[in-house]
Amino acid sequence: MTGTLRLLRFLLRRERIGLPWWLLGATLLVLVQSGQSQTLYGTPEALARMRETIGSNTAAIAMNGPPRLLDSIGGEVVFEVFTFVAVVVALMNMFLVGRHTRADEESGRAELIRSARVGRHAPLAAALTLAGLADLTVGVLVFAVAAGTGLPVAGSVLFGAATAGVGLIFAVLTAVAAQVFENTRTAYGAVALVLGAAYVLRAAGDAGDGALSWASPIGWGQRTFPYAGDRWWPLLLPFGVSVLLGAAAVVLLTRRDFGAGLVPPRPGRATASAWLRDAYALAWRLQRGALAGWAAGLGLLGIAYGSIGNSIEQYVRDNPQIADFLPGGAADVVDSYLALTAGLSALLAAAYGVTSTLRIRAEETSGRSEPVLATATSRLTWLASHLSVALTGSALTLVTFGLGEGAAYGITISDAGQVPRLIGVALAYLPAAWLIIAVTVLALGWLPRPAAVLAWMTVAYCAIVTLFADSFDLPGWTQQASPFAHTPGVPLDDLALTPLLTIALLAAALVATGYAGLRRRDIAS
Amino acid sequence: MTTSTEAAISITALRKSFGETTALDGLDLSVAAGEVHGFLGPNGSGKTTTIRVLLGLLHPDAGEVRMLGGDPWRDAVALHRRLTYVPGDVTLWPGITGGEVIDLLGRLRGGVNRRRRDELLEQFDLDPRKKARTYSKGNRQKVALIAALASDAELLLLDEPTSGLDPLMESVFQRCIQQVKRQGRTVLLSSHILAEVEALCDRVSIIRLGRTVESGTLSELRHLTRTSIAVETAEPPHGIDALPGVHDVVVEDHHARFDVDTAQLDAVVRRLAPLGVRSMTSTPPTLEELFLRHYGDEQATGKNVAS
Repeated sequence: MTGTLRLLRFLLRRERIGLPWWLLGATLLVLVQSGQSQTLYGTPEALARMRETIGSNTAAIAMNGPPRLLDSIGGEVVFEVFTFVAVVVALMNMFLVGRHTRADEESGRAELIRSARVGRHAPLAAALTLAGLADLTVGVLVFAVAAGTGLPVAGSVLFGAATAGVGLIFAVLTAVAAQVFENTRTAYGAVALVLGAAYVLRAAGDAGDGALSWASPIGWGQRTFPYAGDRWWPLLLPFGVSVLLGAAAVVLLTRRDFGAGLVPPRPGRATASAWLRDAYALAWRLQRGALAGWAAGLGLLGIAYGSIGNSIEQYVRDNPQIADFLPGGAADVVDSYLALTAGLSALLAAAYGVTSTLRIRAEETSGRSEPVLATATSRLTWLASHLSVALTGSALTLVTFGLGEGAAYGITISDAGQVPRLIGVALAYLPAAWLIIAVTVLALGWLPRPAAVLAWMTVAYCAIVTLFADSFDLPGWTQQASPFAHTPGVPLDDLALTPLLTIALLAAALVATGYAGLRRRDIAS
Repeated sequence: MTTSTEAAISITALRKSFGETTALDGLDLSVAAGEVHGFLGPNGSGKTTTIRVLLGLLHPDAGEVRMLGGDPWRDAVALHRRLTYVPGDVTLWPGITGGEVIDLLGRLRGGVNRRRRDELLEQFDLDPRKKARTYSKGNRQKVALIAALASDAELLLLDEPTSGLDPLMESVFQRCIQQVKRQGRTVLLSSHILAEVEALCDRVSIIRLGRTVESGTLSELRHLTRTSIAVETAEPPHGIDALPGVHDVVVEDHHARFDVDTAQLDAVVRRLAPLGVRSMTSTPPTLEELFLRHYGDEQATGKNVAS
């Protein structure tokens, strides 16, 4: 344990940039939700109506948590935000512990540290202490924000403690995974699997008799019922299990060699399979994992949106303020809602397209593109290979979104025709997403250094004018540069092909111009 | 593409700058077809920039560059079918195994010689089933080397290919390059390992600050520098220090040690003969001395004088 304190100070220094953002993110989630809930359901009548529509909606319960939370306004905040905060805090802990244990060991940095006067257990102890401090901070911040926005103090303490408990569990889980697996990504994968299982188990439990929720750390947190009974004893579970798992990590650490894991990594292929033979195959191989993740994520989002499509009409009648957020107002509520969600999914598809296109720059600056471009692969092929993933991938994410939304909405209204209909609706927004990809290519060709910043600023601009133009009362001209402003808002509006074709042609022109820049500039090393 | 020129690579007055910094400042380089050409220079002297210009990754600011009868910038793809490249700092895709990378790079060039690939894997003792993220620097370099050596390319551009290899692998590498040479293929070998250059290269070019300072065969270059002489004579060897081209003379009794400009060697030996030479050893300059003579100027000049 020698040197733990010194190491901890060093870790705090290394985390001084990244960690505050995680803390800020978790805190903002609670702050925004608390404000929004109290505006929408501030009166007992509004809350009762909410309890009636959502409390009996299985999909909403599976997404959020046990309906008992809806007994009070504070509980309603926990109901809506706890799973999100839990996932954010769990990921924060996973990266925090993983980065300073296994990742450092894998990169060789830990070897340098361990060769100094530092005990065998010190890096693990320092990383876990760091995570503990981060969780304590999250707990205090959640408490402060909840109590500060007018929620009862006792419930807020419980809310903060339950959040910190989830974080702690995932910190020690990562510590165990870091001993078991030799590779950081494998360790992250294992922890992410547990996180996914925790979400699914509590979803199944909350929608059913509740028994399965007790197998999930997120379920433990929710079943303290902050503001809705304030039950303290379930807090023993995360803190007790954390002590046991922490001890397990220490034992495992002493049973393995430095740099090794307990499970040896599986060897890969000795030869490339026949299909890995050109630049296109390489680009798809490199990006397939990320694409699968985005497609699955948007599919789940579609299911979540689709499942409440049918209750939205009732919901808006009960809460007329909501209609302000819908482009068509209260008149054609369901189609308004479907148009709004499809536009949202297109923003996410555009964000996926930007990450995928920026891969070109990452390949370039890391030097990995150099051996490829030194073969008979032209710059055009190299650009086209990655761009094919971005363009097809953004379409695929929209298809999975439409599929999820159509299936979930179709089931609630017993109409299988919603699946092809909503896939078509989502795809109407594809040209707008492609235009943002094209802007990224343009930047990669002519302004490679700030390309990532420019591309994300474009996404942020489109998101802001699409989502907030009405609520912020932005003047109309501010939206004119966004392709989403020119995309017909199907299914609320009629499908018009001319604007879509114009956007697609503009995208093609921008890609061609971007390529012209890429062809004549130096490839960075 | 014309085949009017015999040279595999011919560069004249090449200039390239990145913003304020000048990387290449009028570099000349000529590599004949079928030769192994050593490319020497300290870090930051412009070796890698030159190779990246040859690969068509960088556009030259000025100067003439020809490779295999084509223009590296304009004819990049056609030329790349005929060459292969090993970067100095090999970065690979972390989730792909070494074996997959070797096959992929070979296929991107236009085909892999399966038998040679497997032989090389054995000779370089590389496990192709490991993911690239688990390879050390040396093993990543082996992946790039095997991919390059398993090809039939007529030109090999190697940028410090052995900087991460151990001596055993270094000798495997040298055997492979000798084989490449016997097949009449051309190699441009940028290197810091002078023994390797001495063992492999027909001709060398030494560059400094983006400019070629020496170029020629090793014996030509040696001619330009000094030979070390240790001699024992019957009569005390006085007056040697007065001869032109003689430096750093140390005389002890009947023994003398000094360096002489190789061009003046004949005159000095004639002057020694009448003194009655009992024994004499002459050491030709090593490449290391050649190298240091050119680089030494950058550091303290006092080094050369004190000996």
